[in-house]
Amino acid sequence: MEFTIKAEKLTKSYGSLKALDQFDLSVGRGEIFGLLGSNGAGKSTALECILGTRKPDFGTSVILGMNPCKDRKKLFERVGVQFQETSYQDKIRVSELCEVTASLYRKPRDPKLLLHQFGLSDKFKVMVNDLSGGQKQRLFIVLALIPDPEVIFLDELTTGLDVRARRDVWNRILKLKEDGLTVLLTSHFMDEVEMLCDKIMILKNGKTVFEGTVKEAILNSPYDQLEDAYFYFTEEEKENESI
Amino acid sequence: MKAFRTLFQTECKLSLRGLDMFIFAICMPIIVFILLGIIYKDKPAFDGAGYTFVEQSFGAVSTIAICAGGVMGLPLVVSDYRKKHILKRFKVTPASPVLILAVQLSIYALYSFASLILVYAAGAIFFGFHLNGSILTFLAAYLLVMISMFSIGLLVGGIAPDIKTASAAASILYFPMLIFSGATLPYEIMPPALQKFSDIMPLTQGIKLLKAAALGSPVKESAVPVFFMIAIAILCTALSLRFFRWE
Repeated sequence: MEFTIKAEKLTKSYGSLKALDQFDLSVGRGEIFGLLGSNGAGKSTALECILGTRKPDFGTSVILGMNPCKDRKKLFERVGVQFQETSYQDKIRVSELCEVTASLYRKPRDPKLLLHQFGLSDKFKVMVNDLSGGQKQRLFIVLALIPDPEVIFLDELTTGLDVRARRDVWNRILKLKEDGLTVLLTSHFMDEVEMLCDKIMILKNGKTVFEGTVKEAILNSPYDQLEDAYFYFTEEEKENESI
Repeated sequence: MKAFRTLFQTECKLSLRGLDMFIFAICMPIIVFILLGIIYKDKPAFDGAGYTFVEQSFGAVSTIAICAGGVMGLPLVVSDYRKKHILKRFKVTPASPVLILAVQLSIYALYSFASLILVYAAGAIFFGFHLNGSILTFLAAYLLVMISMFSIGLLVGGIAPDIKTASAAASILYFPMLIFSGATLPYEIMPPALQKFSDIMPLTQGIKLLKAAALGSPVKESAVPVFFMIAIAILCTALSLRFFRWE
């Protein structure tokens, strides 16, 4: 099977801390894949090593059949990325940030339409700094969708969103999935993961402690809730060693 | 090209919203030049000189904008955009972080040339100033000084670990050069000891070159400053290429 995202044996250390250890990942076309784990478990490092913004000590990553470092220009015409940290200029307006982002791509989607879909139509002329946390978060998803991507990376998709906005964003993502969008996301919310993800991977101290569907995660634990299963995989030392 | 144009327009707007460059690169040089004109009127540069003190000062005042953009604006914007992960964001697009650096360099170049034209215009309107030397030579010299100063700024912004360090380094470079290189306070009225100290600053050498170009002095006399400017540009660019931190 052709994988849209394929990472093999990605390993990254910061000093003596192993942030990512022998990380393998395969995401098929049209799949929504969720990376789970506590803060510092290595989720962001994994995303960055896959994207090539961080150089792994070891291992390879391929997206859409391309090397993210060597084929960067070609690859990122077709890939959207939403990073966790804010990354925009001071005193920039929503419209300007969208226009600048669109100008970087050959065939961008209309930012106005995307802003409308994410409930930000009336914020077009507003300073990005004046948006609420949830509005900013939605704006960054819009920015990641401007290239009309085939693959999208979302680091903490709905952090800071209210219940309604979360639901709206989920529905948008599911709709995009129907059109064949492949998604790799990180999340701290079990309901979100259950709602969206075809497959999940749980990381602990840079190591993969579980990979499979949500159902399998629950079946492989003594519990019947994903959240309990998640705690089971991330907290109990002994059982983990066999996995 | 579309990306460059859009980004250039947007970054220009952002820069103007910030006002600092408008004040320090556009307004300040004009005010300094007019003040010098009011103070020195048509006094000759020295007894028996064939040109006035004001004519002699034009080259110096025209570098105020270069200094503001090169060693204050550039280091701050580069370290700020790295801190905010804007450079990193460009890495996951078909463009590259080099694009936004190129845009910033162009903006500061635009400020410098705008300031040059406005200072010249102010001089021409208020006290009939005109360039004695060749305009082309002057522009070439101006460009060289600009490249040299911008390379310093790019290096400082590129290697400073955080905004605080960048801002401290920028202040250490900017304020002494602004005051003691002759850009604002005329070099000629400084005591000899201060002139010696001033001579080691890159901008002082640049100003000597521009003065010579503005007054139409023989090219030979400017060999040392030209060499100095080129050496700084090469050194800083090489160091930037080697040590620039994108994150």
